[in-house]
Amino acid sequence: MQDLLNAATLGSIYLLFALGMALVWGTIGILNFAHGATFMFSAFVGHMVSRETELPFLGVIVIAVLTGAVISSLTMLLAFQPILKRSKNQHAAEMRILIGGIGVAAIPLALAQRETRSSPFGFKSSYKPEVFEVLGLRITTTSAIIIVTGLVMGIGLTLWLRRSRQGLALRAIGVDAETAAGMGVNRTALAFGTMAVAGALAGLAGALLTFQLGAIAPETGDQLVIKAFAVIVLGGLGSMAGTVIGAYVLAGAETFVVSMNWGTWVDAVSFGLIFLILLARPQGLLGRKEVRRT
Amino acid sequence: MRKALLAGLAMATVLGTAACGSDDGGDSGAAGDGGIASTIKIAQVQDQTGTVAYAGLGASEGAELAIDEIQEQGFLGDDVKIDLEKYDTAGEIERASSEMSKAMGDRDVSAILGPVSTQQAATVSPLVGRQKVPTVFTQAGGEGVVTNDYTFRVTPPMESYYASVMDFLEEEGVKTVSVLYNATFPTFAVLGEDDVPALAEERGMEIVQSLPVQMTTQDFSGQAQQIAKEDADALVMLLIAPQSVTALGQLKDAGYENQIVATSVQAAGNIEAAGDNANGLVYPVPFSVAMEDETSDAFSKAFQAKFDEEPTPYAADGYDAMWWIARAIKSSGDSSREGIREGLAKIAAEGYSGAMGEVTFDGNDARIAGSLVRWEDGKETLVK
Repeated sequence: MQDLLNAATLGSIYLLFALGMALVWGTIGILNFAHGATFMFSAFVGHMVSRETELPFLGVIVIAVLTGAVISSLTMLLAFQPILKRSKNQHAAEMRILIGGIGVAAIPLALAQRETRSSPFGFKSSYKPEVFEVLGLRITTTSAIIIVTGLVMGIGLTLWLRRSRQGLALRAIGVDAETAAGMGVNRTALAFGTMAVAGALAGLAGALLTFQLGAIAPETGDQLVIKAFAVIVLGGLGSMAGTVIGAYVLAGAETFVVSMNWGTWVDAVSFGLIFLILLARPQGLLGRKEVRRT
Repeated sequence: MRKALLAGLAMATVLGTAACGSDDGGDSGAAGDGGIASTIKIAQVQDQTGTVAYAGLGASEGAELAIDEIQEQGFLGDDVKIDLEKYDTAGEIERASSEMSKAMGDRDVSAILGPVSTQQAATVSPLVGRQKVPTVFTQAGGEGVVTNDYTFRVTPPMESYYASVMDFLEEEGVKTVSVLYNATFPTFAVLGEDDVPALAEERGMEIVQSLPVQMTTQDFSGQAQQIAKEDADALVMLLIAPQSVTALGQLKDAGYENQIVATSVQAAGNIEAAGDNANGLVYPVPFSVAMEDETSDAFSKAFQAKFDEEPTPYAADGYDAMWWIARAIKSSGDSSREGIREGLAKIAAEGYSGAMGEVTFDGNDARIAGSLVRWEDGKETLVK
């Protein structure tokens, strides 16, 4: 049971991180490799502010969420939007956006590395996590917050995309951007909004993960980008519900490997599992057979 | 006609290269004709950015302090200037290789401070032997680094002084030990799989649990609960800096409250982010501001005066490396590459007192007794 609880915490961390990436990639077609740097730099700004003045839990969260939204919007404005304008079509823009994202990511990474000398950083906060023991299971308040937040955000975003007007418009862009624009969908405004929401999610994940781990390093985001990429592909590109399931499947596989004391095989086993699933179902767990983003 | 032109071009290139590589009248330090040049160029090929930038940047500061002292004292002659040129390896093996080639290709470079990571250092070590440029490595504690007459290491390998940690555990009455180690970090893999089990067995301790993790592991809740469940008398934790911070918090959350010992990676304030969770952590260091030797204390004070902050073990590495090179030049009376190599070997045979205290050598590889420190409320204190 304790392993299930650990898997739920880890899965929620992967989910919070992957949600923003999945939202942007699955709707406006941008595979944003700067998402990891946005995540890290949001936490880094929280660290810098909390170094000057001790902040409560929510104070750190708000700063990180706002920072993430601002960085992500700026990335759209200064990097992706110009690339999209200069490219003949979405397909031509994809590779340029991917490289552009890697380039953008290098800037906050270098800034944080320079400032911290690549040492780990955390928050000076009045929040002190407590440990609860229920039926022999140990859980911290941070883990509980992460599990609840992960599930709420995952299910909420899935429902919003399926049921709200804006969600429908976003999905329409994912299916056929030209037709959607012809039907009156404001692509540019929706793209900026989506990037801002994704950045805010990255900031939220950055702050929560830093509280959970005690500290992160400037490179932490880079490692999570690979996991998020795997989660999205495993769940099925375009399916938010698939992303939710993919995050918990990956975390479950990793937790199982750790519980068997095969610590050095975590990546090999979990990514091997993904490979096997994709052999049987190339579109991912909840992806559609037809290659369409919805 | 075309052939003649190509031949002429080739000849001009060769002559041009020769001219670039020649000494301009004995002012350079790499001529190899004996004597001490008025300007001695030392290359520092270490991480100035990237994941282990703290080691390279710290070594830079230590080396700069040593150069100030060497020049102020007129240690190599009143007008002798040491020029430190930095090359950034940025945490990449390929870049370390290309930057080393660049530094070695500069005939004015007399000696090199080599890369800090074992992977980078082991890759460039054969190049150093082939190009015959004396290279002093700092950190880079794994095997395959000190492999030929031109490779030297100023930082003692961690396993050479880790016995002090196991002695401490024995004195504390520890009988059972858990080991949590990063198996993809060469130094920790050797310690976790070979040295710690052997040292424990010699002292009658039992390794009851050995948990390997990989470099990308960020969450340790599973391992922490396994460790808490086993409840061994002590935990040997061999993790990189961010991993240690997380593991300490999650071990506490899991209810593990026994003694934890770690490594010098936790020094230099790297464990500060763990807050109260790190209190009581014991680890061995080649250098600490808590050290009381005369030379260590003098280094700490001089560093504090120059940089207005406390020195790290990485700064001590750079400081000792630069002073070792200076002593080598003085000893051989020759600032050429070959002169420095001879001098470094000669000084290594004698040993010296530096920021790390009394340093002896096994061949070209430094050895120290090592100091054991305890982290308490943001400060290191010596474990007596």
